[in-house]
Amino acid sequence: MTTLRFPLSRIEGHARVEMEVQDGKVVSAQFQAIEMRGFRYFMLGTPAEQMPVIVPRICGVCSTAHHVASVKALEDIFEVEPPKLAKEIRELLLLGQLIQNQATSLFIFTMPDRVGASSIFHMDESEADPEQQLSLAQRALKVRQAGTNLITLAGGQFIHPIKAIIGGVTSGIKPEPAQKMLAEMEALLPVVCTLFDEYWEMSLKMKERIGTWGDDQPAYYIASTGRTGLELNSDMIRILGPNGTERASFPPRQFRTYLDYQDTEYSYAGQTSYQGEVMRANSLARINLANATGTPLADEYMQKLTHAFGKPAHPILLFDLCRGIELVYAFERAIEMLSQDLEYEDPSLPYALKDGEGFGLVEAPRGPLIHHYTVKEGLITDAEFIIPTTHNMLAIERALKVAGDRYVTPEGINLELEKAVGRVVRAFDPCIACATQ
Amino acid sequence: MSLNPTLPRFAVLQLSGCAGCEVSLINASEWVEKYQLVYMPLVVSTHAVPEDTEILLVSGGVRNDEDVWNLRHAAEIVDRVIAVGTCAISGGVANLGDRDDVRAMFMSQASRHHVPHLLPKSHPIDAFVDVDLYLPGCPPTPELFMGALTGPENFEASSIVCQECGRKKLKDMRPTHLVGFQQGEVLPDICLINQGYLCVGSSTRGGCRAICTRPGHPCVGCRGPSNAYIEKESSVWFDRVQKVFENMTDIPPEEIREALHSPQLSMFLFQFTDYQGGDRPPRPKEKVL
Ligand code: SF4
Ligand code: SF4
Repeated sequence: MTTLRFPLSRIEGHARVEMEVQDGKVVSAQFQAIEMRGFRYFMLGTPAEQMPVIVPRICGVCSTAHHVASVKALEDIFEVEPPKLAKEIRELLLLGQLIQNQATSLFIFTMPDRVGASSIFHMDESEADPEQQLSLAQRALKVRQAGTNLITLAGGQFIHPIKAIIGGVTSGIKPEPAQKMLAEMEALLPVVCTLFDEYWEMSLKMKERIGTWGDDQPAYYIASTGRTGLELNSDMIRILGPNGTERASFPPRQFRTYLDYQDTEYSYAGQTSYQGEVMRANSLARINLANATGTPLADEYMQKLTHAFGKPAHPILLFDLCRGIELVYAFERAIEMLSQDLEYEDPSLPYALKDGEGFGLVEAPRGPLIHHYTVKEGLITDAEFIIPTTHNMLAIERALKVAGDRYVTPEGINLELEKAVGRVVRAFDPCIACATQ
Repeated sequence: MSLNPTLPRFAVLQLSGCAGCEVSLINASEWVEKYQLVYMPLVVSTHAVPEDTEILLVSGGVRNDEDVWNLRHAAEIVDRVIAVGTCAISGGVANLGDRDDVRAMFMSQASRHHVPHLLPKSHPIDAFVDVDLYLPGCPPTPELFMGALTGPENFEASSIVCQECGRKKLKDMRPTHLVGFQQGEVLPDICLINQGYLCVGSSTRGGCRAICTRPGHPCVGCRGPSNAYIEKESSVWFDRVQKVFENMTDIPPEEIREALHSPQLSMFLFQFTDYQGGDRPPRPKEKVL
């Protein structure tokens, strides 16, 4: 038995892949998360009201999702319903996060695979036309920056936002900065589309070269976005079967009825399944679970995808293309929202502390995220973080095994395997800091 | 993005953290013209710090045995080590786990195979290697990152957050309790202390441009103590914040004292003084941006 160990880069956090190979066959593929800080333990005893400031530190990439999920879980306990304006500001925050994340995944994590560079900051070293590569990188970074600017505007701090509070948000958005942001996003929307077209082309070329879009079997899908729109701040989770029929729809409070969780010996992250079945979360799940995104340009791209790959679509490299659709959607939706008054009412309501158990759901870029807290006398007595990346763990391992089978033969191990491992993992865009906390 | 081989070469070593520091650095993309990024697993696929690297930025705390090895090995190669973010400076948010029940949980994982072994607690990096510059913040803003790379002498900041905040301190608005967000509304332009929020900006070092307090959230002190307190015990810093509240409010002193020891503040307030490193000397203010 030989063990192949692949260190991973261009993903969030510390992880590696180990494959066991015997007689020219892949016996197992493990995705190992190799860090842990212990949030679910050390948060016990914390004053509940401090959670929204502390939990974004679970992950600097997904911090906004944690910030909002935390506030929603506490509102569930304290029985306060935030004003409409607060919900809008939070949606803008989540849109900013989606832009930042999908742009990072598309351009910083996966585009280098498509042009043969080691990073976006080294694109001019790749074999393709250096000038063109450089311009691509510069435009991509600008698009990503718009996402972080939007988070800053709606959330105060762009990495660990602070504006969502129990009962609402600290402040609305003044017309002048809203206009400025709007202008930036309107100017960038065509750039986003061109970049995505280029990315699509590069992906087609890559597919030609490697001969596959990721030939794994169909799977179940999980998302909390809607059927006719990609709303990120909903209260229901849905499950889609491999053939495209909806299997379940439930509020976060019932997640245990539908999702099974297990720990693993070889990783600090656990794995969830839908009643024993392999499922997938993240962009491809959302697009498979929706008939429309809710904005015109994104809908066009969605139709193009459906036309080419059917619905539900299963090949894993389509996760990346779906991220592009969502990037376009998030720009369009944010432009819509920024064109409206964002100071029309008091953005927060008073509340009083209460004992109880609460759930907060948001659709994070990587899938549905649930914070589940129990509060007694103002203190957290139980905290559970149900992390989208763990929903993808079984799917990642299955896809790695498929990639392994492709490149490991009795004649030897094809050197493309290492690249394939990177591509598979990045398609799922796992977040290790979140998965292990 | 031009690959000029004469540009100084820097690497970013991520230990156990949240990657927020790296995300902030990516946003500070002006370095692209002045430096060469040779190693940073989040964005570059190289698997070791190259031999000719000059500057090493370290983010995250030392949480497991692989962190120790990676840190020692990388620090040997480079000329200059910069500790970025609270995690690298004090262990950061993970330090909230420095208590018996949580340590026991970490130790119970020690016999696991395949995964790096967890240490009982999160350590600051200067418990293992010498540090040339500390860059506090959770995370430091992109502007602060540029300041650290180009040298503190080129960076201008106020000594405390209040000076960068712009909210007015009023004489005749004296809260009697720390009411916090339960009251439902944050007034613009007025100091958050006047409104009954626990804000520690009055003795927290400036440089972040008061990004939290300006939109209405109290400062939780992520930049650590200002130079006036940085080389002193943390009790001096606490006393100072306590005094500010006693002068500006009618809140009972015990209420303030208790609140100052809350987890959201202790993530940050200990970072330069009583961090749980034992007998280490204070970090000199000249080495802190
Ligand atoms: S200092 Fe803050 S932003 Fe940086 S790694 Fe630690 S938790 Fe994340
Ligand atoms: S206002 Fe305070 S908590 Fe916010 S970034 Fe500045 S120092 Fe950190």
